[in-house]
Amino acid sequence: MKALLIDSTRCIGCRACQVACKEWNELNAEETTFFSGKGYQNPPDLSPSTWTLITYNEVEVNNRFDWVFGKMQCFHCNVPACASACPVSALEKTEAGPVIYHASICLGCRYCQLACPFKVPRFEWNKIIPEITKCTMCADRINAGMEPACAKVCSTDAIVFGERDELIAEAEDRIRKNPTFYIHHIYGKEEAGGTCVMHISNVPFNEIGFDTNIPMDPIVSKSSHAMKPIPYVLTGLGLVLGGVSWVVNRKKELEKETKSGMEG
Amino acid sequence: MKISRRGFLGAAGTGTLGGIVSLFGVPKNVKAAEIPEIKTVQTTESTTICPFCGVGCGLIVSAREGKVINIEGDPDHPINEGTLCSKGMAIFQLAVNERRLNKVKYRAPGSSEWEEKSWDWALTEIAKRVKKTRDATFVAKEDDGKIVNRTNGIACLGGAALDNEECYLYSKFARSLGVTYLEHQARI
Amino acid sequence: MTNHWIDIINTDVAMVMGSNIVENHPIASKWLTRAKERGAIIINCDPRYTRTSSFADIYCKFRSGTDIAFVNGIINYALENDFINKDYVLDYTNASFLISEKYSFNDGLFSGYNNDTRAYDKTFWAYELDGSGLPKKDLSLQHPRCVFQLMKKHFKRYDIDTVCQITGAPKDIYEKVCRTYTSTWAKNRVATWLYAMGTTQHTHGTQNIRSYSILQLLLGNVGLAGGGINALRGESNVQGSTDMGLLFHLLPGYLASPTKADQTLEDYKKNNTPKTNDPKSANWWGNYPKYITSLLKAWYGNNATPDNDFGFNYIPKRSADYSHISLFETMYSGKIKGLFLFGQNPAVGGPNTNKERKALDKLEWMVAVDIFETDTSVFWKRPGVNPADNQTEVFLLPACSSIEKEGSVSNSGRWVQWRYKAVEPIGESRSDLWILDALHKAVKKEYAKDGVYREPILNLNWNYGNGAEIDFHKEPDVHFVAREINGGFVQSKEVMILKDLKSFKKGDQAPSFATLQDDGSTSCGSWIYCGSYPGHTPEKNNMARRKKKDAVNNIGLYPEWSWAWPVNRRIIYNRASVDLTGKPLDLKRWVIRWNETTLKWEGDVPDGPWPPNDKYPFIMKPDGHAWLFAPNLNDGPLPEHYEPLESPVENYLSSQQVNPAVKLWYKINPEGNPVGDVTKYPIIGTTYRVSEHWQAGAMTRNIPWLAELVPDVFVELGYELANQKNIKNGDLVVVETARGSMDAFALVTRRFQPFHLNGKIVHEVGIVWHFGYSGLARGDSANLLTSHIGDANTMIPEYKAFLCDVHRKEGGAA
Repeated sequence: MKALLIDSTRCIGCRACQVACKEWNELNAEETTFFSGKGYQNPPDLSPSTWTLITYNEVEVNNRFDWVFGKMQCFHCNVPACASACPVSALEKTEAGPVIYHASICLGCRYCQLACPFKVPRFEWNKIIPEITKCTMCADRINAGMEPACAKVCSTDAIVFGERDELIAEAEDRIRKNPTFYIHHIYGKEEAGGTCVMHISNVPFNEIGFDTNIPMDPIVSKSSHAMKPIPYVLTGLGLVLGGVSWVVNRKKELEKETKSGMEG
Repeated sequence: MKISRRGFLGAAGTGTLGGIVSLFGVPKNVKAAEIPEIKTVQTTESTTICPFCGVGCGLIVSAREGKVINIEGDPDHPINEGTLCSKGMAIFQLAVNERRLNKVKYRAPGSSEWEEKSWDWALTEIAKRVKKTRDATFVAKEDDGKIVNRTNGIACLGGAALDNEECYLYSKFARSLGVTYLEHQARI
Repeated sequence: MTNHWIDIINTDVAMVMGSNIVENHPIASKWLTRAKERGAIIINCDPRYTRTSSFADIYCKFRSGTDIAFVNGIINYALENDFINKDYVLDYTNASFLISEKYSFNDGLFSGYNNDTRAYDKTFWAYELDGSGLPKKDLSLQHPRCVFQLMKKHFKRYDIDTVCQITGAPKDIYEKVCRTYTSTWAKNRVATWLYAMGTTQHTHGTQNIRSYSILQLLLGNVGLAGGGINALRGESNVQGSTDMGLLFHLLPGYLASPTKADQTLEDYKKNNTPKTNDPKSANWWGNYPKYITSLLKAWYGNNATPDNDFGFNYIPKRSADYSHISLFETMYSGKIKGLFLFGQNPAVGGPNTNKERKALDKLEWMVAVDIFETDTSVFWKRPGVNPADNQTEVFLLPACSSIEKEGSVSNSGRWVQWRYKAVEPIGESRSDLWILDALHKAVKKEYAKDGVYREPILNLNWNYGNGAEIDFHKEPDVHFVAREINGGFVQSKEVMILKDLKSFKKGDQAPSFATLQDDGSTSCGSWIYCGSYPGHTPEKNNMARRKKKDAVNNIGLYPEWSWAWPVNRRIIYNRASVDLTGKPLDLKRWVIRWNETTLKWEGDVPDGPWPPNDKYPFIMKPDGHAWLFAPNLNDGPLPEHYEPLESPVENYLSSQQVNPAVKLWYKINPEGNPVGDVTKYPIIGTTYRVSEHWQAGAMTRNIPWLAELVPDVFVELGYELANQKNIKNGDLVVVETARGSMDAFALVTRRFQPFHLNGKIVHEVGIVWHFGYSGLARGDSANLLTSHIGDANTMIPEYKAFLCDVHRKEGGAA
């Protein structure tokens, strides 16, 4: 299984990865202001057109001030909560590692958003046919034998792409060789049952924007816990399913219209 | 013959719609049949060098039918080895950008707007201005009788973003007019 | 760069001072990272904690404008502790040379100063010569007037305490910097110095670099792999544009542009060709006559003959300073009527841009060539200006982008790399090559009947394979131009190269500048590019080479990837990397070595083919030695600390507050050039770039993905200052100097800390300068704040240190 290892100590905060993601995936620029985020960070958060984001963190490490950069994106969980929550399997864990999304069958129910422990998937509120959006780990590139756009562009190898077990060994090796420098933890090795995007750092993960309260077991095995908000939705199941079929039908209609328009 | 992306996705979609019955089931760890083909298939590739800083990173431009499809780092380039910075990675939007100039424009004295013009018109008019200014300001000799053969009435700026061959012609062209106010980004 | 980007991997200590390499040359971080993996220490000295500081092992803050004090202190540390590479210093520098008795230094002034002209008589600093005209030397380095002893005396005043009082550097960290950097005096250790505009944009910018060079020479770090003095060029082809002579004082190939003193070609040769009586000095500039004559042949072709001095007087002669500031001062006075702009945006990038924008108002016509509308090309509708009041005609010509044309660019490491056309130019845009070709043809046509002194235009050698008429569909052949730059034989000729006689036929391309002639038999557009295209077909285009194979020394030279000037030499001054027998000083990372069997050099292309010790290594100097003591500069032979034009403190070292040799524009042209006082403007201001934008922003502020990342102009300031001024993160603030004011968002950060200077606390703020009123991402320009004052040698403006004040804008909360 393929994975990404992100070493914040090697990240220079250049944001080539953010642009590479937009370039390859043909994502629009967002209209931002300088203080959309804190300091240099921009856009403020992941969004339908921003699938990865560098955070800028002014921190104290061993009594020394430092400026450390974190990377946000989909973690591509080994057992993805989003996929287990999806009523139509629009989200799918692939053998290669990426958790991919099938827009054509998505109902737009947003259960995946509620299920994700990392709060990654975003919903296109402003579109007629909204989709769920998130990093695909450039599954198309991986499929073609290439590395994801963000990993390829990274000049300092802060993002490396490879076999998950080999990357874990690499991360452990780096920590072993520099034990007073690194935090002794590979974020993502076990979080949520293990993920295909893993991080190592020299500052505590919560200081560079990571949730350190993620359970170490796959979220799906605790689906009742993870799905707590869902019963609210399920109480009106008939209504929901009605809504679902409307969305599906509406999508098909729109698709036909677009198609004929294009062919015409 | 390429398979249309839409048709491809549609066909696979019908098959998996049955998944609706396994409402909260654990998804099958299946090999995705729907991963689209990469966008760079069937493109011509050419190499270029980044137009921003002085590192000189290599890039590959993929084009199809005269249109730029993708621009990313050249993995064979010994300096950047396929990597880029945010600016270099954004060159696609230099190539494909609705704000680019694609017509000659002219602004008349006192006007608040541009007018679109032809190259022929502009080049002829510019040449007239050059001649008028040059002839009016040309100094063949200074008061002490020494030859200087220059015009201080025309100045030339720029060049750090041009190719060497362009810079060379610019240097030659400016000097042929007698321009000594010839400067560019290296000074500032 | 004396070295090149990949070579950074070879270093033991990298000093990043005067540049923000990680943000502004991000891919250099790849090689810095690999150097780190090898165990190298990265030091970053900067007024502000940047993304480079975050990357570095040692960060030392210091106040903007005090580089000389900072580095002179390291030099003193090396001299006091004897951390110098003695053999190198003795053999390869002018340390042992005796200086004239007339040389002295007193209270910030070198001898020979004229208060009225604000200029030095440099003969006061000349070498003392012996009977045969050679500099006298004391190889024991003990003579009180030898360069080494003069240096010891000069730098002694820069002890660590003094340096910290001037610069505000924390003493413990500064000592660590001194210790770490000077550790590379050892023969098996090497350090590189990586600088950029943070160094040059000062009234003493040249002397900043001098201080780096002196240190590097004392430690024996020049010419070696992983060493050198490395100016990081900020534009993709600012190296090439300089190589092609796009500056008032230079013709292509760093030949001086003629001055009024050069009434004939003979005068020019005499005034510019250095001489030496030392047979061991290669004195490469002794070839000046060959290079100028070949250039004239390239420019005027058959119209350049011995009878007309090869057209020498077709080239305009200068009799004053025509540099950027002077140009805009003259434009402001109304004397410049017309302006061509090829991809430059001075309305944002020029210093004191309030004045420069007003200067543009005086133009009768402007021709702007660019790929986007720039702030400069729409200066007539800038904020606060009524277009009806502006009488300038503006022609805006659409240039195509770099992927829509073919040609070469020279990177900072002097690699000349070829670019290919991927797609056709969009719309009616054309390459700058086509535009320049068409402009010349249009002007020539205009002059066909009559005009003043038409010869330089009519006799210009201009044939690039697309006919005599302007044709929208016919590009000039860029290979024709590239081959003209490389040069070749216009007559058949036999040429002696070393001991071999070689025959060249009329029409042959020149293989290297060693074959160029001063008799008109060769033509060459830029002699340092000779060898870039030594044949007639694209296969001979060395700039397009893509073979990724390293040289025998395996230090990342990649000699068959593109081509580097001069003669594909990847590390210049490399003869200083070996001892007098040709053995590398550093055996692990050797650059060149002498093979006793083949009697040839191996590795990089050496600085000349002669056997070891036949010639001195610094072949561009008439005496063959690197200049610790530089008697040719306008502001002194040794670097001395002076304050920036606007400074919050008095010069701690002498009564000379500002570099005594700089031109004071505020006195020459007071209008529009006010100078601020510390009582009104107590804060130091500086300007810089961010990784996500480029220069004056015309390209990047029009790229949506980059505008998204940094959409607005901002000022960075520390918490203490912000608290004093009641400024919160995200507030809209006003930054003000004597010249102008601008609005910016405040970014309150721990990355700026106040400086403690001799008991006084001084704050510094920094503003990104990419912004302007045109484009997708817009904002006020930081250059509304900066002033018209430049370096004493280069006239580069002092963008990096000025006085300002900051306050919240009324109703400006975010």
